[in-house]
Amino acid sequence: MKLYDQIFNVVKQFRKLFSPGPVTNADVSGSITAEIFLIVSLVLSAILLRHVNMLLAGIVTFILAIVLISNIPLIPKFKLEQEDSLEKMLFYAIITISILVAFLYWGGNLV
Amino acid sequence: MAQTQLIILMTSAALIIIGFYSAIFVDNIIKKIIGISFIEEGVNLFIVAIGYKAGGIVPILMPDMNTTWFASNAAYPLPFGLVLTSIVIGASTLAVMLALVMVIYKKYGTLSTKVMLADTSKQEEYNE
Amino acid sequence: MNELIPLMVIVPLMAALLISAFSRFNTVTKIFALVVAICLPIIPLASNYGLHYFGGYEPILDNVTNAVYHPAITYSFTFLQQVFIAMVGLLTFLVVFIYLTKYRKVSGPYLFLLFLGTAAVTAMLLTDDIFHMFVFFEILALAQVGIVAASSINYSYEMALKYMILGSIGSPMMLLGIGFLLAMTGTVNVTDIAAAVHNGLINVTSPVFLMSLALIFFGWLYASGLPPFHTIKSGIYSKAEPHGAALLQSFTVISMISIVLIMFRIYSTLPIFEVLIVFFSILAMILGVSMALTQTDFRRMIGFLAVGELGFIGLGIGLGTQFSITAGLFQALNEIMITALLFIGFGAIVNATNEVDTRKLGGLLAYHPKVSLMLLIGGLAMAGVPPLSGFQSKLMLVQASLSCGFPEISILAIMVSIATFVVFVKTYYSMFLKPKPNDLEVENKEVPRAMIFAMGILLIIIILLGIFPDIVINGISNFVGGIL
Repeated sequence: MKLYDQIFNVVKQFRKLFSPGPVTNADVSGSITAEIFLIVSLVLSAILLRHVNMLLAGIVTFILAIVLISNIPLIPKFKLEQEDSLEKMLFYAIITISILVAFLYWGGNLV
Repeated sequence: MAQTQLIILMTSAALIIIGFYSAIFVDNIIKKIIGISFIEEGVNLFIVAIGYKAGGIVPILMPDMNTTWFASNAAYPLPFGLVLTSIVIGASTLAVMLALVMVIYKKYGTLSTKVMLADTSKQEEYNE
Repeated sequence: MNELIPLMVIVPLMAALLISAFSRFNTVTKIFALVVAICLPIIPLASNYGLHYFGGYEPILDNVTNAVYHPAITYSFTFLQQVFIAMVGLLTFLVVFIYLTKYRKVSGPYLFLLFLGTAAVTAMLLTDDIFHMFVFFEILALAQVGIVAASSINYSYEMALKYMILGSIGSPMMLLGIGFLLAMTGTVNVTDIAAAVHNGLINVTSPVFLMSLALIFFGWLYASGLPPFHTIKSGIYSKAEPHGAALLQSFTVISMISIVLIMFRIYSTLPIFEVLIVFFSILAMILGVSMALTQTDFRRMIGFLAVGELGFIGLGIGLGTQFSITAGLFQALNEIMITALLFIGFGAIVNATNEVDTRKLGGLLAYHPKVSLMLLIGGLAMAGVPPLSGFQSKLMLVQASLSCGFPEISILAIMVSIATFVVFVKTYYSMFLKPKPNDLEVENKEVPRAMIFAMGILLIIIILLGIFPDIVINGISNFVGGIL
């Protein structure tokens, strides 16, 4: 029953996503779909690491699955990070360029 | 001297890093735009530095010049042409950005980025 | 006739300047804009394939090293360019037509922006010169910002400024990457750079070359709206007028493929290049579609869907085989049409109700049966339902990733298609099928004929390409065989 309660709480928390205004059936079912889609697709793309190392892929997939499932609801957090304010956008853009340059400079020949 | 080129490259790197710093940490939108245009200037400076040749001459072929001597002594002209175009583009981008800032400033009465360019999706979604 | 090749850029560019200069004469401007818009799809179809050297500077053969140098800015025109330029020309014609019939008094500057954007993407597709591409990329960014800022939707100026500020970080980074390439090879011609790379004249494992990849790649992320730029890209789609958004997304798709093809020709020897593209494409698919599922503003929702679909194009190109790249480019062609259809169709609904929140809409099937039927077919095409064109390209992508040995990517692609379908069905239900809310006032006015006409033409092409995909696949496949 614990998982059931957890999922029920998730649905309650979706209300905040649509906070001014009512929450309709279609919106909640869409958010649950998004939640499941996010977990499954992230875990699935973690399996792609098997082309680098089999053991690494197993460990990463397992840990990622546990972390993601125990942290539901993910969608409110994701949506908060991808909002429209310029600060967040600039922050992520500059983080991306830094990681990209650092990764290619030191690790570009490893692949 | 290769040292001159090195100093120019260092300066351009410093300009780009200052630009990144101001993009994240400065709140005033005008200052932020000035900072961001530093990135552009840094890149332009870098491309100018590529064409640097120690002791090189202006790459214009005069009638009385020996072609072989000219080819081995002239600076590389392509980067200068590119930078000229890039400066023009940068200036027009800057003008459009500042014009937009003027319009938005009239609406909010402040230059703070946190206020002007905050998340607007929530405010407009359900207005009754 | 190869004289037509530069005309593809010059005609919209000159038209843009003339229209903005003489916009006081309303009727003349309208007729002139319409004539130019009709010419745009016809010129590429009438032109022959070939190369055009600006200034007439033919390539120079160096007798000592046996290398060929291209001193002129070169435009190369093949089947791929032909089909994409014709498509964006057709879309420009439809958008200009909708705009001209919507307003009695037309705005010269707005038409200027539409034609400027078209000229810019055409030049980006044609050019073989990386700096030339950068210049038109910047012009395109200015045109996009203008189209967004010109709309009368709330907060459009703010969104335009955000796009511009992010652009002034993305574009200089790309220019810096071009500068690194220039420093290594001494030229900006892509054919020369690629020849230098493939002949081993420059060291491909050197950090400078890798850095240039990182920087140009970042510029590409900005141009195509892959993460971290997916929020701003979907934002500008939702803040533009619907017909403007239809054109904006085609600009995005075309700038994406034209830059990635140039990058592919230079960096395809580096394995990390393909890894990066696949990584960001998968990220775009996951984030775009999952964000689209939670939106309540349907314009924003289509914006996120459009970004998610871009992931398919990137995936096809990132897998790196002839079949997969063909599939990716075919998907790009389909996406231009399908997303334009959706933007125009939902724009017709905004026109009738002045409401964008799906929670306040409903029961519109009774009012606009024609539009709803066309939108349904468009949505099915986007989700990849046979026999529509989206199905053909997505099937090719799934096959390509299976044959490359990545079954996970196939499963992911199918899952994203399903989630896309869920997004579409959810929105379709809440707009057209559920009972009409009492406080919704539907003005009982007709959807503009021009919009129905535009949607009809796009639908015909979608169905035609779904049944006979070989019309374009063979030509694109030949092109891809040439660059591999």
